[in-house]
Amino acid sequence: MTSYRFVPHTADIAVELRAQNERGLYQAGVDALRELLVGTATVAPAQERPIEPRGGDPTERLIHFLSDVLYLYDTGRFLPAGVSASGVYGEPFDPTRHEAQREVKAVTHHGAEVESDERGYRATIVFDV
Amino acid sequence: MQLERIDAYRWRVPRHGGMRTDGLIFADDGLIRDLEGDQAVQQVANVAHLPGIVGPAIAMPDIHWGYGFPIGGVAAFDEQEGVVSPGGVGYDINCGVRLLATPLDIGDVRPRLKQLVDALYRTIPSGVGASRSDVRLGRRDLERVLGDGARWVVAQGYGSDADLEAIEANGSLPGADPECVSDRAKERGGDQLGTVGSGNHFVEVGYVAERYDATVADRLGLAPGTVTVFIHSGSRGLGYQVCDDYLDTMLAAAGKYGIALPDKQLCCAPIGSPEGKRYWGAMNAAANYAFANRQLMAHYARQALRTVFDDEAAARTRLVYDVCHNIAKHETHDVAGRPRRLCIHRKGATRAFPPGHAELAPQFRDLGQPVLIPGDMGRYSYVLVGTEGAYRETFGSSCHGAGRRMSRHKAKQLARSRNVPKELEEQGIVVRAATRATVDEEIPEAYKDVARVVDVVHAAGIGRKVAQIKPVGVVKG
Repeated sequence: MTSYRFVPHTADIAVELRAQNERGLYQAGVDALRELLVGTATVAPAQERPIEPRGGDPTERLIHFLSDVLYLYDTGRFLPAGVSASGVYGEPFDPTRHEAQREVKAVTHHGAEVESDERGYRATIVFDV
Repeated sequence: MQLERIDAYRWRVPRHGGMRTDGLIFADDGLIRDLEGDQAVQQVANVAHLPGIVGPAIAMPDIHWGYGFPIGGVAAFDEQEGVVSPGGVGYDINCGVRLLATPLDIGDVRPRLKQLVDALYRTIPSGVGASRSDVRLGRRDLERVLGDGARWVVAQGYGSDADLEAIEANGSLPGADPECVSDRAKERGGDQLGTVGSGNHFVEVGYVAERYDATVADRLGLAPGTVTVFIHSGSRGLGYQVCDDYLDTMLAAAGKYGIALPDKQLCCAPIGSPEGKRYWGAMNAAANYAFANRQLMAHYARQALRTVFDDEAAARTRLVYDVCHNIAKHETHDVAGRPRRLCIHRKGATRAFPPGHAELAPQFRDLGQPVLIPGDMGRYSYVLVGTEGAYRETFGSSCHGAGRRMSRHKAKQLARSRNVPKELEEQGIVVRAATRATVDEEIPEAYKDVARVVDVVHAAGIGRKVAQIKPVGVVKG
């Protein structure tokens, strides 16, 4: 199970991610980012784009993964659907089915910390919008 | 977080824990209450932890919760002992505002207002990932934009030398090094020059509604009723990527140089370190991109005026001024009675140099630097000038806008059952937007009343009111 929940933040957008493992956090982060980009529109896992893992700890790896997903959207209009073994599944933005909601500038490091306990993994991410 | 009142407009965050200096917040009672329940004051305290900070960690009356530094923050660092921090500049490097004054009166424009706003909407791409097919920069041209900023745009025939004289740093920062900008950042910036973007960025038609200093307003071309065009945008995807790239560099550098960070987003490196120098080269290059971006948008705004009015309306549209409000600069300031070279970070704050400052272009030398303060899209914006008070107390800095007071989520909830463009149209303001989401998130109530912010600045003496501008047409991303 993965989940995300937007939490109050005055200027930007903060989201709390929960999952059973580190990879699940990536999926929760992708789901949150997709909602910010195109709302609840369906995005098909039609194509795959590779993402090179970067970062020395789980927090940095998560931020980099989501930053790379955002980069794929910003440069190639590639919308994320889900996490694949070596990157991300998704499809190109289709104006007949997708409505752009807002520009997400970046995935910030502000207050980001991946934590884990017996109930699973948790992280809060602030997106600069 | 403890706050001590100093006077009606100043609050101290007393030095404690690892803070190297006090925090100083400019606000009245109401504005300080707006900060309850978020982390903005804590962020002022966090900035005070950084090495080499000179004077207090400062926050303007439009302070709000950012990431790392608060928005509305000013911090000065000693050039030898201090640090440079991408988080102290922000993702949107050289996000800023420019104000154009047209030769038209509001009475002439009202009958053709919708045409004008439509023309601006068509001519200046806005919205998510907006790009231009007509100005797709090749690699060599992009390098020139990064090196020369607005000067490159003017050299292509889009604007004049008079425009350059009315831009902070003449629209071209000398420390730029395009080599320090990653390929990824260049890819994100290749086709976005001349586009406004999304979020709180806009192009806004307004008119001079009130004047507080008629002499200065006249000198700036702001006669009563003068129609203006405000442009608010920055370095687009290129700048975001530069910040992102260098946060990684600085996180490693902070460890390498033994800098303790209360928040990772404050990561930084000594100004003179290899990491600090490379960020400096990249940041200035991104800042030049932003100057070029606003210069090109001004060209297209003139083109829209030409389409709807005539050649004369376009040709006689003057640039009043263009300011950065997300930037770090090397400047000389008097500290304890002696001049000192400092690196001033302004994140959501505007330079506000006083009359007589050597860096001001001759036409502003006796007036002080124009300071442009946009408000929300329903109320008003302000033009101020810099003061001696700002130079003494805030390293020559003033506020930058209204400052958000409501989360985007809450604003959207509030706007859900309303038709915000229709409400604004009933107030005489025409809105064109790429998406409904942006308009809903940017409802006027989501912002502090900029009049209160500006009144605190004026009363505290860190800026002086010149004119108020009311919006009549808004293009949002």
